[in-house]
Amino acid sequence: MPPIVSVRELRKSYGQIAAVDGVSFDVAEREVFALLGPNGAGKTTTVEILEGLRQADSGTALVAGVDVRKDPSGVKERIGVQLQQSAFPENFLAKEIVDLFALFYGRRVDSLALLRAVGLEDKAKAKSEKLSGGQRQRLSIAVAMVNEPQVLFLDEPTTGLDPQGRRNLWELIRAIRERGTTVFLTTHYLDEAEVLCDRVAIMDNGRIIALDSPRALVTSLLGRGFSKPVQQQQANLEDVFLDLTGHALRED
Amino acid sequence: MRQVLGYTLMLLRAYTRDFTALFFGFFFPLIFMGLFGILNFGSFGHVAVGIVDEANNADSQAFRAGLGKIETLQLSSGTSDAELESLRKGDRDIVLVIPADFKITPARQGAVVPTLTLYANQGRGEQVAVGSAILTQVIDQMSFAITQTAPVVAMKREEVAGRNLKYVDFLTPGIVGMTIMLLGVSSVMFSFVVDRQRGVIRRIMATPISRRSYMAAHVLERLLLAVVQVLILLAVAVFAFKVSIVGSLGLLLAIAILGSVLFLCLGFAVTGFVTTENQAPAILQLVTLPQMFLSGVFFSRDAVPAFLKPVSDVLPLTFLNDALRQVSTAGAGIVDVGRDLIGIVVWSVITFVIAFRFFKLES
Repeated sequence: MPPIVSVRELRKSYGQIAAVDGVSFDVAEREVFALLGPNGAGKTTTVEILEGLRQADSGTALVAGVDVRKDPSGVKERIGVQLQQSAFPENFLAKEIVDLFALFYGRRVDSLALLRAVGLEDKAKAKSEKLSGGQRQRLSIAVAMVNEPQVLFLDEPTTGLDPQGRRNLWELIRAIRERGTTVFLTTHYLDEAEVLCDRVAIMDNGRIIALDSPRALVTSLLGRGFSKPVQQQQANLEDVFLDLTGHALRED
Repeated sequence: MRQVLGYTLMLLRAYTRDFTALFFGFFFPLIFMGLFGILNFGSFGHVAVGIVDEANNADSQAFRAGLGKIETLQLSSGTSDAELESLRKGDRDIVLVIPADFKITPARQGAVVPTLTLYANQGRGEQVAVGSAILTQVIDQMSFAITQTAPVVAMKREEVAGRNLKYVDFLTPGIVGMTIMLLGVSSVMFSFVVDRQRGVIRRIMATPISRRSYMAAHVLERLLLAVVQVLILLAVAVFAFKVSIVGSLGLLLAIAILGSVLFLCLGFAVTGFVTTENQAPAILQLVTLPQMFLSGVFFSRDAVPAFLKPVSDVLPLTFLNDALRQVSTAGAGIVDVGRDLIGIVVWSVITFVIAFRFFKLES
């Protein structure tokens, strides 16, 4: 099966700064793939080029078989996106937001079913700006699914969420993958990448410096003789937190 | 097209939930109209007196010179027909006819004294009362100075029904123009600056909808809002304030839409230079406030100081207000307001070019 995302020698500079500096990788269909890296590593620029929102200076990127540079709107038809630092228009109800975005794709959808899939059915008649951070992220995933995308791009989907909200979103991402959608996400939470992703690419200074499954990356690190100075605990503070406060989602 | 119309309808539905926008867009202008309509500013300033001098002799000229010294009276003169026509149109409060036999000489017993005829505009009781009191006093003084006796001329009075322009008649087109300006500029500026800053537009541009369709829906929504708003204002003016709209309603709406296009273009042009939400209110004031006072919204532009006149003459709202007022109060046709329409179109083109060059959907 050909890769659903295929990137070759992608470059993008802002003035003197090379934000993306010769990046190449493939993402297989039905994979959960993460781009990891510190802030400013070039993750968002890379993702936005793949989403057809920015033009690369050079290199090629095929998404769902479409050349992003030649046909950005063709790519937009086939993918779903959740952007970092974006918002929905005000004074629209959650259900209307879903209908609105369906209209932008020239589709009619069962907006209630999409909201149900992300657990927001009871918020259908709430204004989107009144939703909590976690609910808003779930709404934006429902919106990203209106066109039944082949690839779902999520740019730091769990940033700013509480532990319950993060775990809930992980469940949602797994469910989406089960339905056959490839998920391409960026994050700087390493535990998230470890539990969620089939493969991760670690990016720094505009380049990919490692790409493999989380387990293989850890194994290779250990193979190079790395050992932590302290024996790893069987539980961490987050486990304590979740044990005490439960896994149930908090509404606002 | 279905996308544009569908998006327009959804924008309108969202607008009805935006109480701040509804208040400033719809109720604010009504409050203005109510306030100024009730206070009835500009109702009294001077008394317009038309003189028909059928004598035109030394005495009548002396009499007219005497009247000319009184500031309250705004004198004009002409033929009997012309002045009475002006009275009927509401342009005069009083028309005074000086008879051919007018002279100021001591009255002799049994002789016929010259009789001045005063035509009074029925709808201007206050002005007529003040004006005729002044006229009587002037006549008495002149008589006394010459003859040391009682009046040497008589005055008879006739009532004439004129089509008087009330202050609200004058005010209504001004409020309509002001509303079109505020709605146009502020609705573009606030929503686009906010949506741009919050990343709303970026998110929408990540879908296949074209920029052209997106812009078309936003412009269409605002034009529809402007039409609704103008209709509401006119309805309130006609039914609550008994404003009479003399000209064609269709032409009035067409001018309103043209004006709305102009101020939307101005809104987009200005928004090209606004980057944050905090700048928006200041820039809005900067653009709209001078026009509120210099373009004849509440008061006639006659009150504009001479040094500001050249500016006042070419402001966008001046053209819109003038066209609306000509149609609404004087029944002007499309040709009569041609100069104003050209002004509106020229401003639309200028602001469109600026908007096209500087307005960006994304920062």
